[in-house]
Amino acid sequence: MHLRQDRLTASERMDALFTYQKPDRVPLGAMSTGFNTRNAGHTVADAYEDPEKSYSDMQWTTEQYGWDPIPQYAGHTVLGAWDFGGDVRMPKGEFEGALVVTEKPVNSEDDVAKLELPDPATVGRIPLAMRFSKLQFENNLPVYFFSRSPFTMAANICGIDLFLRWTMKKPKLCEALLDISLKHIINALTLWLETFGTDRVFVWMSSPSESNQLISPRTFKKFALPYHEAYHQRLRELGVQRFGQHICGEQNLNLPLFAESPPWPHPSVLSFGHEVDLEAAADFFPKDIIFGNIEPAVIQTGTPEQVYELCRVAIEKGKKAPGGFILGPGCGMPVNAPSANVYAMTKAVHDFGFYE
Amino acid sequence: MKEVTKAELLKEIHDSVVEFDEEKTTELCEKALEIGIPPYDAIMDGLALGMDAVGSLYEQKEYFVPELLLCSDAMYAGLDILRPHVKVDEHQTAGKIVMGVVEGDIHDIGKSLVKTMFEAAGWDICDLGKDVKLGKFVEALKDTGADVVAISALMTTSMMAMPKVIGMLKAEKPDVIVLVGGAPLTEDIAQQYGADGYAKDAISAVQVAKNLLKKAA
Repeated sequence: MHLRQDRLTASERMDALFTYQKPDRVPLGAMSTGFNTRNAGHTVADAYEDPEKSYSDMQWTTEQYGWDPIPQYAGHTVLGAWDFGGDVRMPKGEFEGALVVTEKPVNSEDDVAKLELPDPATVGRIPLAMRFSKLQFENNLPVYFFSRSPFTMAANICGIDLFLRWTMKKPKLCEALLDISLKHIINALTLWLETFGTDRVFVWMSSPSESNQLISPRTFKKFALPYHEAYHQRLRELGVQRFGQHICGEQNLNLPLFAESPPWPHPSVLSFGHEVDLEAAADFFPKDIIFGNIEPAVIQTGTPEQVYELCRVAIEKGKKAPGGFILGPGCGMPVNAPSANVYAMTKAVHDFGFYE
Repeated sequence: MKEVTKAELLKEIHDSVVEFDEEKTTELCEKALEIGIPPYDAIMDGLALGMDAVGSLYEQKEYFVPELLLCSDAMYAGLDILRPHVKVDEHQTAGKIVMGVVEGDIHDIGKSLVKTMFEAAGWDICDLGKDVKLGKFVEALKDTGADVVAISALMTTSMMAMPKVIGMLKAEKPDVIVLVGGAPLTEDIAQQYGADGYAKDAISAVQVAKNLLKKAA
């Protein structure tokens, strides 16, 4: 195995990107919660419920594949259903890769009014996330705070099918859920900023329920976009310096709406799935760092050659992105991805990703 | 009863589904029974045609999942009124299908919409729900003698169960048609897994199943 020698450390590479400098090579990142623990011989559940094991497995996996620390989290910091009084269980068995909501806090219209803002220090898996973040802090890594978007969190509180029905029939209920979701995210984030400092916290968000596989751009504009704007207004007030968003799934119809006036600071990291063309993403967001977008199902079921070729094409497109580019999977790294396929991404970055 | 009155009422039922008006659909279906329209006609030429139109609106990107869910609610409200009155010998099933979200996966919104479309198309449905243990698919196939088994998965972890359950189904009934769908699936992966067909969304699923049945006949 002969990989090219990096000329920068991971931290220097990311600093270069965030100051619009060309780094030595295209960084390589992965949203990889369950993959890390499986990779190290532990379970997917360990990723969520054992912060020390999750952290250690993440560092071994990161070093093994030459990843840059973008992003690095052990599951979401804040969770809709869990934090607001519902219940979840850890993944178990051969085929589960994420937390499973077993009881939603809201099942009817009346339940919405009964919701209360949770204590951001103690609820859900926030205490576990805090332990993980402390390890990042102590080891000079970016401290990640990871939430879903207010829209996705609101949908998680009552279930996506009920929430989508309410977007049409009971918009005020949606607004109530969106309001309380935003407040809770900001309360928990404030705790992170007070604990670790604004210069150390990297705020990350994902927005899978905003995919056009579910909602129209009309619904996105009415319910999701205003809350992105309010969220970023608060982030500015709090002094957040680094932000990234995984714009999950098929969101091509939403991108022009985001692009009219992107609410986030520039540059931010914008992660895209295979559904969004990287060149189109770079055209929409020329001031931001484009991240993606290797199809996870191919990483899991394809050959190393197929993954390598997808990466070659992605790197060719991504290197032209004016705001910068990071190679990565188009969504979470599949828990069962064969190691040769994951290595194919590393090899592709070293074969094609250097800036001469 | 004047033909035009029947046609007008069926059109109104169709429109009430397209406009996702659950209350109106219920009223119109009750009226259909009152004035003697055969309930099977009201289902197929009112409710089902309404869902066909909804499917077209989805393909044209006019309707998305919220509209589909509400149109589905309207259709089921109408079915609740009409179905008890359909005579057994009147009901011509288009096919029998077992469906479910595979073990390890609780995302069922897509599967529920697929169910609506198959319902509208006149299929007999055995819905196993979500997080369905692999053996349950086989059991249901044995119990129902279904023509088609439709399996969905939204996650790269749960899709790993598909080749296993497909193997089990084919061992039980070699000529069963297995249809798969869900966000991480593609035609290529479906083939790799041993499935007979892949549907990219709820709207296309019925046509894919029909084509596969025709090919097998």
